[in-house]
Amino acid sequence: MPKVDEKIDEEIKELFSSDKPWITIVWDDPVNLMTYVTYVLMELFGFRKEKAHELMMQVHTQGKAVVSTGSREEMEHDVARLHEYGLWATLQRGDQAI
Amino acid sequence: MGHAPARRSSHMSREVDEQSSGFTRHGNNYYVANFSASESEVLVNLVEQIIELLGERTDNHSDDPLAAMVGITSHDSPPDDEVLLRLLPNAYADQVDASEFRRYTELTLRAKKSAHAMSMRIDLKSSPDGCIEVDHEGANAWLGAMNDIRLALGVRLKVQENSHEDLEILAPDDPMRGVYAVYSWLGWLQESLIQALMDDAL
Repeated sequence: MPKVDEKIDEEIKELFSSDKPWITIVWDDPVNLMTYVTYVLMELFGFRKEKAHELMMQVHTQGKAVVSTGSREEMEHDVARLHEYGLWATLQRGDQAI
Repeated sequence: MGHAPARRSSHMSREVDEQSSGFTRHGNNYYVANFSASESEVLVNLVEQIIELLGERTDNHSDDPLAAMVGITSHDSPPDDEVLLRLLPNAYADQVDASEFRRYTELTLRAKKSAHAMSMRIDLKSSPDGCIEVDHEGANAWLGAMNDIRLALGVRLKVQENSHEDLEILAPDDPMRGVYAVYSWLGWLQESLIQALMDDAL
């Protein structure tokens, strides 16, 4: 029995822990135009042009960039909106290796 | 990431009677483009293919109309078709999480992408003179739809493996040459609309 309790405890902890945020990652894609990626990041996240351009360049040169962090639900929402505009995005736990 | 061709594709003119000068901003919130009859025809053709593609695979959720109504599909595996998989990608690297997410969201994603494509189609169909005028929201729909078309063509052209230099020198009789011409032209058109929109944002 204690084993089960421990497991539930862990799960509850996980549900409410704010120290393990989730992240949204945008991946490089050979089709999407650089300006388009910048524009979509500005539109969806309200980033200023400089910030959006910086993130786009990170995707372009390093293959990926974290564009938002937050709860799992929030990141699922962000990924869905990025997919709507054709950006290649995934979400995962922030402490997981990318 | 891709770069927009600096000029209109040189061999697009062989495919259609090309005359559009791309999108320009009119006033505060309008974006205008003029297309020749053949340019409009190409765009309608492509966008209709995307609408058709996004409408596929909807057969097996009908067994539960309530689930379909709230946007839950019974299929949770990624699409077999390479193009569809690029349009509806996995949201998680983990397969179990990806399937679960797909089950609850794929229908909505298809509907949103279809809405972009249908908005573009209606704009083209309702302008027999080829003069398109869209507001900010309409422009975003065009961008999303044009991007989906380019993603689809990109899969067919294997843009992942083939460099743009490879694609530029395709033989005249290569069927992919025409596809690449349209792909490049769309990139140029998309870029013109982005530039017009970005002028606003500055």
